[in-house]
Amino acid sequence: MSDTPTYASLTPLAPAIPTIINGLSGVDMQPSQTVSHHAVMNNSEQVVNQVSMVNNGANGQCPSTAMSLTVLSPAAPATPSSLTSEVKSESAEPPSFERSNLIAVLQFLKKNNLKGTEDLLRRESGFFDEIEDSKSGYGLESETSTIFSTYKNEGDPTEYEETYLNLLNFIERSLDSYKHEVSQVLYPVFVHMYLELVYNGHENMAIAFLERFSPQQEDYYQEDILSLSLVTTRDHMSGYQIMDNFRGSQFNVRITREGHAHLKRYLSEAGGGPVQRIIQNRLCFDIYDGVPRTRSQIVSTAGALEGEASRQVNKTKIFYGLLKEPELQNLIIEEDEGEEEGDKPKKKKHKKDPLQKSKKNDPNAPPNNRIPLPELRDIDKLEKAKAIRDAMKRVTLSKDNLPSICFYTFLNSNASLTSVEFSDDSSLLAFGTSDSFVCIQSITPAKLKALKSVEQLNDIDKDADDVLVRMMDERSAEQTKQLLGHSGPVYSCSFSPDRTLLLTAGKDGTIRLWSLQTWTCLVVYKGHIFPVWDVKFCQLGYYFASGSHDRTARLWATDHHQPLRIFSGHFSDVDVVQFHPNCNYIASGSSDRSIRLWDIQNGNCVRILTGHKGLINVLIFSPCGRYLSSAGSDHRVLVWDLSNGSLVAELISHTNSIYCLSFSRDGNLLVSVVWINV
Amino acid sequence: MILDSTLLCKMTTDTPSTVYFPLESVKIIGESIGIQSVSDEVAKEVSEDITFRLKNILQDATKFMNHGKRKKLSVLDFDQALQIKNIEPLYGITSKEHIPFRFASGGGRELHFIEDKEIEIAHWLAIEGVQPSIPENPPPISKNLQKKESVDPAAKLSTQIDKRDEKHIHGRGMKSIETVKVKQLATHELSAEQQLYYKEITEACVGSDEPKRGEALHSLAFDPGLHQMVPRLCTFIAEGVRVNVVQKNLALLIYLMRMAKALLDNQTLYLEKYLHEIVPSVMSCIVSRQLCLKPDMDNHWALRDFAARLISQICKNYNTTTNCLQTRITRVFSRCLNADKTHLSSMYGAIAGLSELGPEVSKALVLPKLRSLSEKIEQCLESTSTFEKNAVSHIKGLLLKNVAPILKLLRNPPDLVQDYKNEYGYLGSHLQIAVVKARQATSSTTTSISSAASAPLKAIAPPTRIIQHAPSVSQRTFVVNKPAAAAGQAQLGQKVIIMTSKPASNQSSPSVVSTSSPLTVSVAQATQKYVVVSAPNQPQIKQEIKEEPMDTSMMSPQQGLDIL
Repeated sequence: MSDTPTYASLTPLAPAIPTIINGLSGVDMQPSQTVSHHAVMNNSEQVVNQVSMVNNGANGQCPSTAMSLTVLSPAAPATPSSLTSEVKSESAEPPSFERSNLIAVLQFLKKNNLKGTEDLLRRESGFFDEIEDSKSGYGLESETSTIFSTYKNEGDPTEYEETYLNLLNFIERSLDSYKHEVSQVLYPVFVHMYLELVYNGHENMAIAFLERFSPQQEDYYQEDILSLSLVTTRDHMSGYQIMDNFRGSQFNVRITREGHAHLKRYLSEAGGGPVQRIIQNRLCFDIYDGVPRTRSQIVSTAGALEGEASRQVNKTKIFYGLLKEPELQNLIIEEDEGEEEGDKPKKKKHKKDPLQKSKKNDPNAPPNNRIPLPELRDIDKLEKAKAIRDAMKRVTLSKDNLPSICFYTFLNSNASLTSVEFSDDSSLLAFGTSDSFVCIQSITPAKLKALKSVEQLNDIDKDADDVLVRMMDERSAEQTKQLLGHSGPVYSCSFSPDRTLLLTAGKDGTIRLWSLQTWTCLVVYKGHIFPVWDVKFCQLGYYFASGSHDRTARLWATDHHQPLRIFSGHFSDVDVVQFHPNCNYIASGSSDRSIRLWDIQNGNCVRILTGHKGLINVLIFSPCGRYLSSAGSDHRVLVWDLSNGSLVAELISHTNSIYCLSFSRDGNLLVSVVWINV
Repeated sequence: MILDSTLLCKMTTDTPSTVYFPLESVKIIGESIGIQSVSDEVAKEVSEDITFRLKNILQDATKFMNHGKRKKLSVLDFDQALQIKNIEPLYGITSKEHIPFRFASGGGRELHFIEDKEIEIAHWLAIEGVQPSIPENPPPISKNLQKKESVDPAAKLSTQIDKRDEKHIHGRGMKSIETVKVKQLATHELSAEQQLYYKEITEACVGSDEPKRGEALHSLAFDPGLHQMVPRLCTFIAEGVRVNVVQKNLALLIYLMRMAKALLDNQTLYLEKYLHEIVPSVMSCIVSRQLCLKPDMDNHWALRDFAARLISQICKNYNTTTNCLQTRITRVFSRCLNADKTHLSSMYGAIAGLSELGPEVSKALVLPKLRSLSEKIEQCLESTSTFEKNAVSHIKGLLLKNVAPILKLLRNPPDLVQDYKNEYGYLGSHLQIAVVKARQATSSTTTSISSAASAPLKAIAPPTRIIQHAPSVSQRTFVVNKPAAAAGQAQLGQKVIIMTSKPASNQSSPSVVSTSSPLTVSVAQATQKYVVVSAPNQPQIKQEIKEEPMDTSMMSPQQGLDIL
């Protein structure tokens, strides 16, 4: 077994790494460009860190705080520029908003004495005179003050409670049809009013405001309000994650045109004040024509940190169909004849069905060359053929025909088990523990064997039929093998489809690729600097995805030590990632309570699915590729239709955090696993 | 430590939004680093900031908890949250379960802290039989203290004694009382020196070398600082008696009684806690039906007398209103005396025991029985059995010796034979003679305890014939309390005491191995001969031990011995 995977023929996606980040050019560019691009990027510490390194290279001086740079980017992340502009026009966002970012960047550059970059940026921005002028206006206060300057206002702190109460009353008095959709603004207005009060030093009033109105907010916001309540002074506002989110993003509110007009009318009547200011600056209205939604409709998609996903973002066409299966017919028939000579013709006819199905041209399927895919080796084809043959024997599962379940119990794990993974054919079990171990357990009678040494391998007759068996060292046969290398809890394991490789990721921020033939670590992928929560192999192998505390999901290939794509846009940890069955998309679930679907080809976010009220622990695609099922700590399983990003089902009978979901192979059944207190 | 605990305490009582870091804690922490008198405003500022940061870190820690698939936040989660914030975590504070914070208050302050347990390192060393008063040596606990501790365990918690003493008592006294109650597991360890001493003493006491025995008994009777080994010595005696009563080995029973006597004589020991082992042993030596292989020839009467004196000594020293020792002992004897078919040996023992308990006891319990005893004696004197004749003559002698002084006081001078005969039957005439004799010798003493105490040990030493005889009876290797074998009653949860010697080279010195079933014996270190560990009652272990105790316990300590 060589140290690299055997997809030698495959060319990487692009020569430069990483090539595309959310449609921006890569981070390995010149410093000036990097900085300017990152200015419009959202808050990802990882990216910022790379910026810092660039800066380091420039003058060898370490930037004081990495976090300070993260806060430079208030623009809504991953929103296609066309959409952003459209939204902007509707919400009447002042152009100075963009400018303040530039000012912040310039200040940062100036502070770190990055003259060249600064000049470049000024030239490029084209309004550096204005900046020069306005700078004095903003003053050279602390960084926090600059960043939060939008919160600065001289308004009377006593009017806050009153105006908010007015808003509440207005909504209460509204027609029932508008009432619920207008009430969506309550929470963001509440949050920003509170932050304004805190920023302007009216601590006691802020606390009183919070205490008075927090019970009026929806249940699913209470957790955020709780963490928000920690922020009671201006100093707390910088470097606090939830703050970054509120400050860095606009809150999306989906509303009918009539509803919006209704609200606007009220605001103009009320005449200025903090409510109007906040609604103008901080809220992003996604206006549509049609019937106002009911309360339950609104609640079903509310809850995410960023508000509701705008409809525009979910309009991109995606190819959710399955890839065209490679030509396996010959192989199957060949095998078939070899194995079961003179079998009944009836069976054969049945067997053709899945193949015929895959032959059909699915309009929703991506072209097979949309992204470079690993070439199937003979052994993979055999494996696939075997799987298809197995599938033919399968009994269709249904409500009345439920499968049996096999449970494995880990004894004496002492709450140290952090991840468990079965190989696709249920022959191997991998588990990671909080004390850095990774163990592979064979759950079939077959023992785990290691390859023979090089000298011994030379002696093997390579033409022998059983060469694969001969390559293995019988003496090393064991039921369990242990892999050591991580330096912290191992949060995720993933088998390659051919079961020769294993990926593990852990608290130490590394992803490790292990060979299950030599039982050694092959590669350590160091890209995430924070704990990696999840890693998943692509169904075809070669590619894999990871999600981390650094709020990015990343796409890797086994033969590249750096990520091919960095998917950045989540407002909190990316807790889980999942490959689409056709390998063209990656879904990521985050602690910001949203799910995003990323296109591998161009790195764009093509779907934002909001509706979870807690962090997302697990994502799973249906075998047909059209549906995505998700579940998390809000005890609910949601099923999404990827074709339009709509919520199709909400399964709510669980009463505890859900940690695992799985579709049956025919896609008829969905199983969910909850946390049980033992 | 102080931080977390106070915070936790608050969190359990208050609603989440009002949880704050207590100002008191800020002040205390300030003081601990030398900042005196932190003002309220400053403390409030600091407290707010700490609260914010702690909660911030806790929020991150919950992520680690969640990804660890747990619902319980661990210390490790907190450490990891600190790490991702690039803060060096506080190492060494790990806890699988809860953090065992202790609470203390005083001077208007309330404190939570983690108790640092002091590790007890025993360093017991005697030079020429005298324990030197070096810092490493625990000072011998005064008898009063031992007494206090055993009579009223709660009292010493309140008394302010020297810290070392306190720790000491805690190690020896309270620990064994308290923790044994809570769980079955309790480890008693002796230092290597103590183990050596124990071995030497027990070997010498039951060995055949009389001068050596004398030395050993002298050591037991006069050396201070033996209190740590008293439980083991008492167990040794108790187990030894149990086996040897069954085996009817008079010599060893005598040796063991002399050991008990030596311990009782030791002025530095307070044995109240171990009476449950000593008293039954001594009582066995008084009232057992048969104590030797040839009851008609061997002088087991002397052993009974000696043991009876012991029991009276115990009663005198340790009888309290709470343990009712004397009442209970007396009741045993009188029941023995009143029973119809009491064996003559037992009867002798019972009378001896009652007599030793003082004239008042004899008056109350022996005198009423005198007539029935007389009849029995008369009856037995005519029997053909030499043993019975022998026995009743001993009983007769004993009664005459002990009852005469009482009668002398009870009755008025005209001692008429007929009166005595009427009242006491066969014994009447003998009693009359004895009383008259007693009246003549005014200076003669009532058979008192003082005479018993001063009675030389040698006096009751068995004839040499028996000493020679004993080794041939058994090889002097005794397995005490072997299940269902020797003693017949396996006691669960009992400690294991092992005593070994070099088996081949020193054949004359006996080895006594006593084990009881549910226990394991393990060898801790090469220098340390053995550690006695009690184990939970598990049937599997029980069986293993039945088969194997000799191997593990005999061989391994041997190596240690050789090194020593």
